[in-house]
Amino acid sequence: MVSPSPPAYRVRGLTKVYGDGATAVHALRGIDLEIAEGEMLVLLGPSGSGKSTLLNIMGGLDRASGGEIAFRDASLVAMDDHGLTRFRRRNVGFIFQFYNLIPSLTARENVELVREIALDPMTAAEALDLVGLADRMDHFPAQLSGGEQQRVAVARAIAKRPAVLLCDEPTGALDLKTGVRVLEALVDISARTRATTLMVTHNVDVARLGDRVVHFLDGRISRIDVNTRRASPSELAW
Amino acid sequence: MRSLDRKLLRDLWRMRLHGLAVILVLACGLSVFVMSVGMRGSLERTRAAYYAERRMADVAVSVVRAPDRIVRTLANAPGVAALETRISGFALLDVTKIEEPATARLVSLPRAGRPRVNDLFLRSGRWPDPAHPEEALISEAFATALGVGPGDSLAATMHGRREALRIVGVANAPEFIFVSAPGELFPQPERFGVLWMGREALARAYDLDGAFNEVVVRLAHNADQRKTVAALDKILRPYGSSGAYGRDRMMSDRYLTEELHQLSTMAIFLPVFFLLVAAFLVNISLSRVIATERANIGLLKAFGYDDGAVAWHYAKSALLLACGGAVVGSVVGVWFGGSVASLYQQYYFFPKLEFVASPLTFVAAWAAGFLAAGAGAALSVRRAARLAPAVTLQPPKPPAFARMPGPIEAFSHGLDAKSRIIMRRILRYPRRAGATALGIALAIALLIVARSFPAVMDSLLDVHFAQGNRQSVTLSFVEPREMRALHDVERLPGVIYAEPFRTEDVIFRHGRRQVQEVIVGVPEGARLNRVIGREGKAIALPAVGVTLARTLAAKLSAVPGDEIEVEQTRGRRVRMPVRVTGIADPMLGGSAYMDLSALMRLMREPGRVSGAHLAMDPARHSEFNAAVKAIPAFAGASFVTLAERATRKNFDDHVGLMIAIYSAFAAVMAGGVAFSAARVTMAEQERDLATLRVLGFTRREASYVLIGEIAALALLAAPLGCVLGTGLAMWLMQLFQTDMYAFPWVFDPSSYAFAVAFTLGCVLFAAFIVRREVDRLDMVGVLKARD
Repeated sequence: MVSPSPPAYRVRGLTKVYGDGATAVHALRGIDLEIAEGEMLVLLGPSGSGKSTLLNIMGGLDRASGGEIAFRDASLVAMDDHGLTRFRRRNVGFIFQFYNLIPSLTARENVELVREIALDPMTAAEALDLVGLADRMDHFPAQLSGGEQQRVAVARAIAKRPAVLLCDEPTGALDLKTGVRVLEALVDISARTRATTLMVTHNVDVARLGDRVVHFLDGRISRIDVNTRRASPSELAW
Repeated sequence: MRSLDRKLLRDLWRMRLHGLAVILVLACGLSVFVMSVGMRGSLERTRAAYYAERRMADVAVSVVRAPDRIVRTLANAPGVAALETRISGFALLDVTKIEEPATARLVSLPRAGRPRVNDLFLRSGRWPDPAHPEEALISEAFATALGVGPGDSLAATMHGRREALRIVGVANAPEFIFVSAPGELFPQPERFGVLWMGREALARAYDLDGAFNEVVVRLAHNADQRKTVAALDKILRPYGSSGAYGRDRMMSDRYLTEELHQLSTMAIFLPVFFLLVAAFLVNISLSRVIATERANIGLLKAFGYDDGAVAWHYAKSALLLACGGAVVGSVVGVWFGGSVASLYQQYYFFPKLEFVASPLTFVAAWAAGFLAAGAGAALSVRRAARLAPAVTLQPPKPPAFARMPGPIEAFSHGLDAKSRIIMRRILRYPRRAGATALGIALAIALLIVARSFPAVMDSLLDVHFAQGNRQSVTLSFVEPREMRALHDVERLPGVIYAEPFRTEDVIFRHGRRQVQEVIVGVPEGARLNRVIGREGKAIALPAVGVTLARTLAAKLSAVPGDEIEVEQTRGRRVRMPVRVTGIADPMLGGSAYMDLSALMRLMREPGRVSGAHLAMDPARHSEFNAAVKAIPAFAGASFVTLAERATRKNFDDHVGLMIAIYSAFAAVMAGGVAFSAARVTMAEQERDLATLRVLGFTRREASYVLIGEIAALALLAAPLGCVLGTGLAMWLMQLFQTDMYAFPWVFDPSSYAFAVAFTLGCVLFAAFIVRREVDRLDMVGVLKARD
């Protein structure tokens, strides 16, 4: 498969094994993949198929056991812990299923947190405005609904203008209506910032949002589909 | 084993480091308890058995000279079960191996048989043969210190006469379990001890043929001591009695009673400290376990376990920890007790002193351990029992934070986000933060208390020696002598300056209160032996009236301006009213002080002094010692410089060991609190720390949130610990204060600096150990977990 523009990620023969000997678990069994700058890629597959493992390695949260992975020609395999921290700090925005906001900081302060370490961040007001929470900025997480908390997490992820946005089941804990709002914010922002966006899901319908859909099975890519037309979040149902 | 019990053991293994902290802190407290209560019991039992077996006197009285013929009258006095008359005095000893003369208390043995009162325990050798008046028994400590034993000879100057004595045995007696020279803080066995000799030999030496100068009495069962004392006083008054007294004024028994009192104080004071901290540690660790076990609690309840069963399941872990603490505490306590018992054997001479803690002591220790752990567990366990199963199977709501009060909120805006996290967490959980700070503060306080003892002791010795007793040597005459005898003293080699003094045994009366004490006559402008006032500074005595030591004034309920009555206990038995003109604060003893001339006038013996304090040329010490050994006119020589050195050494050797042990305990407490606090903070912040790491914060930046919170609490704890430590040290000094010693609280900045620095060091060390977990954080695992 040929990417239309120079790749953001280049992955070759990537493997990941947890444990050793008889108890070894092969989470990734040789992944080859190229992801273009600004592409929205959906990783789809059942639990334990390896999609989250790949996402974590791409985000510098985990290390590969073998193979090669490069972001804009910089090898993540060669980076030490400090290098990976710097990589995350400069390039990656993460969104998890369970929001992971700091409960002792308000929405604004949660977003401001990344401003302390980013090179060219947005203001907290700007980021929260993008996710439609300009009027809830001074609320603590416990005072926000699940959907609002996830939108704060999105605002926090995009505030540093990351090159890559990595989303692991971002709507997994949300109902349809709330989930759609979060996805709308995500799609909108990734288009505006031209961030390369990878979204892990096991929801087939959500996969319609991506430029391409990478299907995982048992640690391998089983197939890659190209969406000729990306659906908008409002068309989704689950 | 039931599955639930297996789960319990695994839970305990999971919290093993917390558990270890609880066990160690409990063990520290309970070991002190077992040691002090057990030692107290052992001392009391051993003393009672020794007193009963050797017929320790209940009442004693000294007279100038009473004829043997009144013995029958004395024996018939009400309440007297047994009685022994004897001859007692002091002698200077010339021991070849030791340069300075030693002083011995001489006590006569009955003409035939063993003493009916204050019998001896013969450690080695044999009893003196009445046919050989030169034979003597020597007290064990004295014999060991002088390196003499049966077969050795000693030259003694008794009442001005020089005699050669032959030691035939080594003995101890219930009245001399603790032996220190009159006016000394600690025993100096190479300077002062006891010799027992035949009655005839002493009668000859002291010109007391057919007479005696001391009576010791054992009371009948149920006798009224006051009646016996009154009867004895009446009979002996014509013979120069100084008044009969009970065991409360017998030096050895009084010291032992003081020791028992201090052990009782110790038994309560320190363990309470540790038990409180142990309860706190149980509370925070169990709260954490229960917080992470919400879902399991829900499952147990869903399976049909009732609230009681769930509560019992979690309470058992606290009780198992208490068991661990009690076992370790008991074992260490017994070892500790054994060590203290062997330490005591250097001061207290019993035939045998063994540390035996009664079963009740262990029962009490275990009960206290269970109570502390139970109290610590109670709240968390109750919370576990009350959780509704449906609620526990839901994820817990995110902790609700709110804006802080105005000025604090404004202040927080000046901080970076990480510092704001720290501040909000502390303010959100004030009780938990307060408990952690209190735990750290208690460790600081305990260290301050432990380290304040050397400072207090230093100050006590400084005041006693450098301010109050600046003489190198004190020489006492056999009888008060004319002032011109001072010239003979001044002519002794090496004497730079001699300062006369007079002491007089008197009875003070004020209203219905009556106390027998000593008045010390101090010359105007005294340079060596001076009276100490407030804050350890020497004060000048008024030319008229009497200055009372604070403890004596309290006993008499007298204040300056009051008129009290003074009655001489010997000689003319002068009885005169005297005005109280001042209060003194000596570190040791509770005497009264008067201007020397005023005292001599009061006693109607102008110009007669009891002895002299001497300033010496250290280079001529040996010549001086040789001269004193050769002069028979002195009853005793007290070497103050040596006494000070011995006292400081004693203190460094023995009290120093105890302080080292208590400091180690304080370190355990500080470490335990710090580690538990850091561990719990880490567990609670795991998700936040992982979030920070994922966002791109470095390990160091993320660790700041963890270490910052603990460090902030420790910094808050420091002033609290200093205040607590000061209060506790003052209170403890008050508890230790007795008639014999004043324990002034002393502010010693280095103790505070050490206590704070050491504890904060422990806290930071524990925090850095726990911080390593930040490096090992499973960021993905933590963040993907629901909570």
